[in-house]
Amino acid sequence: MKRATNILRALVAAAWVLALTSGTALAQEFQRVEGAARQEVPAGQFVGLAYGFIWVAVLVYVFFVARGLARTDKEIAELRRKVDEATRR
Amino acid sequence: MRSSVGIGFVVAVLVAAAGFLIVPPLILGAPLEPVMGFVQKIFYVHVPGATMLFLSTFAAAGGSIAFLFKGSEAGDRVAAAAAELGVLFGACTLVTGPLWGRKAWGVWWQWDARLTSSLLLFLMLIAYMLARRYGGPAGRKLSAALALFAAVDVPLVYKSVDIWRTVHPKTTVVPSLDPRMRPAFWSSFLLITILWGVLLALRVRLERQRALVAALRLDTDDLLEAGR
Repeated sequence: MKRATNILRALVAAAWVLALTSGTALAQEFQRVEGAARQEVPAGQFVGLAYGFIWVAVLVYVFFVARGLARTDKEIAELRRKVDEATRR
Repeated sequence: MRSSVGIGFVVAVLVAAAGFLIVPPLILGAPLEPVMGFVQKIFYVHVPGATMLFLSTFAAAGGSIAFLFKGSEAGDRVAAAAAELGVLFGACTLVTGPLWGRKAWGVWWQWDARLTSSLLLFLMLIAYMLARRYGGPAGRKLSAALALFAAVDVPLVYKSVDIWRTVHPKTTVVPSLDPRMRPAFWSSFLLITILWGVLLALRVRLERQRALVAALRLDTDDLLEAGR
């Protein structure tokens, strides 16, 4: 019973601490700061990255498709030659 | 066979060359957006890229319907090619969007309806490719079903900005575009659409050739077996 009471007291105390700290947070106000450094994000770099990514992605894709086409072309020629040889026999 | 590959490449190179020559001056010459400034130039590739993601998904779903209900091998090849292009243009959209957002909103990503549903669409197309590659004998049918689910997501992605409150601009941006920005936007849109068509044709050809290789291998094996 005593243990349960202690746990209950601890919980109530924790709830008070939470309530007080959140109250403090709510009580804070936005302070006006003079001459603060403003975060500047360079637009040119973002635009360059966006366009660059698209072109690189498309070129890499074209390269892989072209490689696949060249490879299958070679295989088809080779297999046709084998089929011709086998049918001649 | 080799000459047809050459034609595809010539077209692709011409399209890319035209893109480099015609579209960038139009984009650079378009007026700056008063609030976002220079970073708004990403719009000219972001929106066409996202549209190609939608178009790819619909093409994949169309091909998958032909494959599932009519057993069309050509439909399956178009679906596989289109899904791959969907991943390509989805990646472009999901990279250019955060680059624009970082400057315009101050954050790379927001878990809002448009961005999250776009990411889901992209993941569904990746799931299509994984199911097709590793799904075993039923992989092609499983991936075709996934393409249908992905197509259902497209209208949701498009209308999400009108249905839910999001940080992303609404669908009214393009219709209400400043007339001085329209030549840059529509020329970029046309160029990227042509590029998509060329890439789709090349990729479908690759699928067709792979199927031919598989058929020829079977023929060769049969003939060699019979010769013994």
